[in-house]
Amino acid sequence: MAEPAMQLKNLKKTIKKKPIIKGLNFDIYPGEVFGFLGPNGAGKTTTIRMMAGLMKMTEGDVIIQGKSVKKDFKDAIRHVGGIVENPEMYPFMSGWKNLLHYSRMMPGISKERMEEVVALVGLEKRIKEKVSKYSLGMRQRLGIAQALLHNPSILILDEPTNGLDPAGIREVRRYIRQLAEHQGVAVIVSSHILSEMEMMCDRIGIIKNGELITIQTVKDTVQQTDRNELHLEVDETEKVKGYLKEWGNEDVKTENGYLIISVTREQIPVVIRQLVEKGVNIYGANVHHSTLEDKFLDLIGEGAIE
Amino acid sequence: MSNFFQLVRNEQMKLYSQTATWVMYGILAVLVIGFAIVLKVNGDVNGGDYGGNWEKALQEENAQLEKQMKENEFAGDYATQQIALNEYRIEHDIAPGGYNIWDFVQENQSNAAIISLFTIIVAAGIIANEFKWGTIKLLLLRPISRTKILFSKYVSVLVYAITMLVFLLILAVICGAIFFGIEQSAQPYLYYQDGTVQEMPMIQLVSIKYFLGSVNLVMMASFAFMISAVFRNSSLAIGIAIFLMMAGNSIVMFFADYDWSKFILFANTDLTQHIIGTPMNEDLTLSFSVTVLLVYFVIFLTLAWAAFTKRDVANA
Repeated sequence: MAEPAMQLKNLKKTIKKKPIIKGLNFDIYPGEVFGFLGPNGAGKTTTIRMMAGLMKMTEGDVIIQGKSVKKDFKDAIRHVGGIVENPEMYPFMSGWKNLLHYSRMMPGISKERMEEVVALVGLEKRIKEKVSKYSLGMRQRLGIAQALLHNPSILILDEPTNGLDPAGIREVRRYIRQLAEHQGVAVIVSSHILSEMEMMCDRIGIIKNGELITIQTVKDTVQQTDRNELHLEVDETEKVKGYLKEWGNEDVKTENGYLIISVTREQIPVVIRQLVEKGVNIYGANVHHSTLEDKFLDLIGEGAIE
Repeated sequence: MSNFFQLVRNEQMKLYSQTATWVMYGILAVLVIGFAIVLKVNGDVNGGDYGGNWEKALQEENAQLEKQMKENEFAGDYATQQIALNEYRIEHDIAPGGYNIWDFVQENQSNAAIISLFTIIVAAGIIANEFKWGTIKLLLLRPISRTKILFSKYVSVLVYAITMLVFLLILAVICGAIFFGIEQSAQPYLYYQDGTVQEMPMIQLVSIKYFLGSVNLVMMASFAFMISAVFRNSSLAIGIAIFLMMAGNSIVMFFADYDWSKFILFANTDLTQHIIGTPMNEDLTLSFSVTVLLVYFVIFLTLAWAAFTKRDVANA
């Protein structure tokens, strides 16, 4: 793999003697979308703020394109674009003036580049209007526009689909994928919406109580689990239950008229064939993968904030 | 450096995009124009109302004042000064002129207090509002040091104050010219200092008053700026700064008996006392005041800097 775009090295944060972040270590590579997942209060925002230099690190460091955020702030942060939490803009200025404001803070951003970004997020028609008249979705787009102005190689997006309608969410998702795949941007996304993360990210880091529990590639989280739930729609459910138990499937559940058993992939055709041989009428058979949500809840436990 | 200039431009753009800023200019304009109209309508400032024989009139006035002094021992200071000024006029043949443009411009300097008020509001908001709006996060997520951002904001406050002062000056000159005329030959300004009468051209007086008057403005703006950076709360900054501005003189009076009262900021902000007046305390020399002001100035800006650069942006 290529050189990492961003590295977290033993990153720690202590606020009033209470450890909030307890030593995070991971790398993010160019061209990938990295999801940052965790329950409320896990330390996602704090971590993102330290990445962006808004909060001091108690210990450890964040290395961006080889430069330390701690020691070499300007050279590190010039590679970063982002939205931290809500896309807050100056409400009394037009979208265009907001962009102009940020464009003046970095060298070499032309009017053409500004127009390009505006077109990219589809705000051409409303860009001269005051931001106070924007919907949350439009502000989100403007937020993404300002983050992209200087062609950053690392994009930090905190809840990027927050407040967008389904079409907007899809657009942003497609756009993030495109930035990563075609321009090699490393995108760091935080979100609570698990299904979103599943569709958008290549890898997901799960954080709980300031510690990184695991990093998984998205394929892993879905397919790695070797147990699948097989949902069967049959008549004579009690009889079938008996057969299944006979064949060693002790844990048979009934739900909405379906029989649910837990099997490996290889067992699925075997079970079905056996049932057919017994003359059972099968009206439907569905395989349910365990979703990221299941996995996530397994990993973090429900509602646990220490 | 051009980078810094761009930052100041940004701050000015944000400032002038807000309605409140234009309201401030409106209020100032109403005050200046209103003041001119009131003076004109009341009419007692027009022309030399001493008539042709002003020397005789002044002599009569002096006789009156001396009589007052004998009757009332408390009339002292003012009467002594007035008598000296009148005698100086007679001696040097300087007729007391009518009210003219320069008197108007000079008197309008008192509106600097209003400008101080507005500058305090701007200084108090320029950092605190970024936190309130949440925009501070995006502002600091740029390859620019916090120190530079802080000072661009401070400079922007000063630019605003200067712009307002220039606006006041120009408006006062225009109103003065329209309402009171420019045809009067410029009279020197007479003042009483250290027991003698001194002369000064009006233009010089106007310059001194406007220039030295801004000292107080700059100090209060720096103070509000500091509170804004430390507490990230504009209301608090406005409240404390305005309270101190109003109460400043009372605070000095209250502690006047103590030796250390001369170190109070407000005992030193009025530099005009050294040039066209008499300081309240003989230890207060011009260089002493300037030193004290500089020390306060450095303290304010250092506190603002420390708070802005060292602290986390946690809850914006």
